[in-house]
Amino acid sequence: MVMSKTDAFAQAGKTAVLQNIQGTMQFLQRFPPFNQMENAHLAYLVEQCQLRFFAEGESIIKPSDGPIEHFYIVKQGQVVGERPHTARRGTETTFEIATGECFPLAALLGERATRTEHLAAEDTFCLQLNKPAFIKLFALSSPFRDFALRGVSSLLDQVNLQVQRRAVETLGTQYSLNTRLGELAMRHPVTCGPQAPLREAVKLMHEQQVGSIVIVDEHKTPLGIFTLRDLRQVVADASADFSDPIGRHMTQSPFALSPDATAFDAAIAMTERHIAHVCLIKERRLCGVVSERDLFSLQRVDLVHLARTIRHASRIESLAALRGEIGQLVERMLAHGASSTQITQIITLLNDHMVCRVIELVLEEKGDPGIPFSWLCFGSEGRREQTLHTDQDNGILFEARDAAHAAEIRSVLLPLAQQINQSLAHCGFTLCKGNIMAGNPELCLSRAEWARRFAAFIREATPENLLGSSIYFDLRVVWGAEQACEQLRRGILDQVADNRLFQRMMAENALRQRPPVGRLRDFVLTRKGNDKAATLDLKVQGLTPFVDGARLLALAHGIEANNTLERLRQLVAKEVIDRLDGAAYEEAYHFIQQTRMQQHQLQTRHNLPYSNRVDPDSLNDLDRRILRESLRQAQRLQSSLTVRYQL
Amino acid sequence: MSLLAWLCPRQPLLTPQQQERLQGLANPGQLTEKSLREQRWVVLDLETTGLNLNRDQVLSIGAVVIEDAAIDLGQQFERTLQCSDLKPGPSVLIHGLGPSAIAAGSNPADALLDLLQFIGDSPVLAFHAPFDQRMLTRALKDRLGFRLQHRFFDLAELAPMLCPHATLREAALDDWTAYFGLQAQARHHASADALVTAELALILFSKARRQQIDSPQLLEQRLNQWRRRQQSHSF
Repeated sequence: MVMSKTDAFAQAGKTAVLQNIQGTMQFLQRFPPFNQMENAHLAYLVEQCQLRFFAEGESIIKPSDGPIEHFYIVKQGQVVGERPHTARRGTETTFEIATGECFPLAALLGERATRTEHLAAEDTFCLQLNKPAFIKLFALSSPFRDFALRGVSSLLDQVNLQVQRRAVETLGTQYSLNTRLGELAMRHPVTCGPQAPLREAVKLMHEQQVGSIVIVDEHKTPLGIFTLRDLRQVVADASADFSDPIGRHMTQSPFALSPDATAFDAAIAMTERHIAHVCLIKERRLCGVVSERDLFSLQRVDLVHLARTIRHASRIESLAALRGEIGQLVERMLAHGASSTQITQIITLLNDHMVCRVIELVLEEKGDPGIPFSWLCFGSEGRREQTLHTDQDNGILFEARDAAHAAEIRSVLLPLAQQINQSLAHCGFTLCKGNIMAGNPELCLSRAEWARRFAAFIREATPENLLGSSIYFDLRVVWGAEQACEQLRRGILDQVADNRLFQRMMAENALRQRPPVGRLRDFVLTRKGNDKAATLDLKVQGLTPFVDGARLLALAHGIEANNTLERLRQLVAKEVIDRLDGAAYEEAYHFIQQTRMQQHQLQTRHNLPYSNRVDPDSLNDLDRRILRESLRQAQRLQSSLTVRYQL
Repeated sequence: MSLLAWLCPRQPLLTPQQQERLQGLANPGQLTEKSLREQRWVVLDLETTGLNLNRDQVLSIGAVVIEDAAIDLGQQFERTLQCSDLKPGPSVLIHGLGPSAIAAGSNPADALLDLLQFIGDSPVLAFHAPFDQRMLTRALKDRLGFRLQHRFFDLAELAPMLCPHATLREAALDDWTAYFGLQAQARHHASADALVTAELALILFSKARRQQIDSPQLLEQRLNQWRRRQQSHSF
């Protein structure tokens, strides 16, 4: 007897929602977009599904199958996409689809065949929805439609939304650092010509209740800016005449940004330049002014204020007290939707200010020896990738005539350097366990000595030297003149570019840390000490492969940038790496760093010691999936090095 | 009907409607040589008041369909049988069906007719199938005067036959689901158990195909050989 599914018996059971329908719905509700769909739509989806089994290695869909007829949701197991390898023979895994994830959206919507063969990576059960039902759901359910149309990118959006929402919950504000400046500059800018008398200009400022006036020419192009700070100076200067034209007292060529730049850009500019106003110009015409107050009255991210307080701190103790405020700032920044890149940039900026101030204070206290020197930093500080949790990695660079002269200068600078190291430690910069600090005689060197040392690193690729190069070659000047450091850097680049063997050794070194993703399992975890749960190290296993890979390729291709993301961008621009790969690496690096920072924030809030180790099971489904994909990108970067250097 | 009346001296009282449905039922077909994929299968699970084949009663029935080598979530059977004179026994702790749920159940004769219609002429799969087969046979005889002739395949036999490398002995459903990493949504709920049993069946069919056992007929032949071997081993 053949039965049609619409027969009475099929309806008879549907008086209540059947256990298995209910159970499958509950399963799906753990994952987007199903967790946002109406129950009726979800029940419809489940009732239209078939549950299918694929043994390990079995093909689920392949390009030769023709246009896609089904939508699949992995219920259990794992599906991988295999594409013919671009460079070599065989295939490479392009993606992994885990429990709760769907495929193949693009092919299904495009009514075409899949371009990638989908195979079961292990014994796998998939829910299979026929195309007519998919189309009906697509029409009925807007969360389902949005998800299908936006695909994976919406996953990332959702994570970002989540991060912000969670942070906003602790702080309760809607303001975003990504707000366009054009939206912040509410008022019409107050302007005058350069010939206007000072008195007139100040009167105008007073009437309009503003802190600045922009001096423009007849085309509205800004020539200068005059602020209350400038007014103080004028008043203090007894010889000043208020009938002078304002052009004589203004600050020339004021700093300007496009109205499309973000609040973050303005905040960074103000912090770096110690300015309180940014002009907005469009096609060289003034269209607004954003003041520090506009930026910060809406929120409490008082970056500029903090930077200024650091710069003017009169004692080491007060600097140490400000350290806690940086932590709070980071928390607020996360709340305002700042990305990990923005935050590491800000931490680096504030840390730089703090280091400079510590050096200045120590020089004041101990007396300036009158010998010019540059304060170098290495490692993550050198790459501008500091989190709140970083050690000191620093050194001193000076000019000397010869070895004897260098030794003489060193004996003068070393006590100072040691005092600076201790003071920095007092301000929360942990002393370096490996003694990579300026107070170490081996790291207080003349330019010639540094150059010799670096050349030896490249010439003799011992394990210690390779480790050294991975720290020292990310050098940067924090305080003092920069030219000598630039010369050192160019020396390094020239030597590395010429030395294929060194590159190969660095590549081997960059492969030491394997990203902790397995072919069959989600993550490859290890248990540390007495830890209850097995964990992975976000820094060493997640970020280091990107950092090492980017450093190697940058040094080998004459790229001067230190920052990993900047290196990746320049490598793309030089066509060393593919544009799409570069974007994927960047996004992955970004996400791992973001996860790491949230982890640190959480640890601070719960008074736990900082750790880079995370138990993936403690993350929500979405974060866990994206973390896995991000680590997979690290793996891809490594395998590209293997091919490039034939390892 | 005369033959049936002769077979069942205590003819149960059925409404004319139920009589009519009973007569319209299909006979189970012979096992064919068509592929496992082409064969429609019904996977069955019963919850009962206990394990005594002569005394205990069927409380609820869950069944799912395997068609085209996939579990069709749109075709599901789920019934709790009404049973007014039932005292809750210790088995309530396992299946969780309290007296109120059972009192609210379906008329047993109707529910069993629904089940027979749902099964149609398909062979039946179950874990420890002989138990379900005999419980169901008795229930059908008592309630409908119907003689169950459907072919039952026991996954508790198919699993060790098709997975000779699995070192499970006397394994229960839970052992096999754990072995294959399957997750039951609500264990000891007839439908959920039927579903997880069906998932197990899909895995086993996939293994059978790889061993060139690709029809219900071949499956039965191999099963008979395997049983004989098992018996000779045990001596």
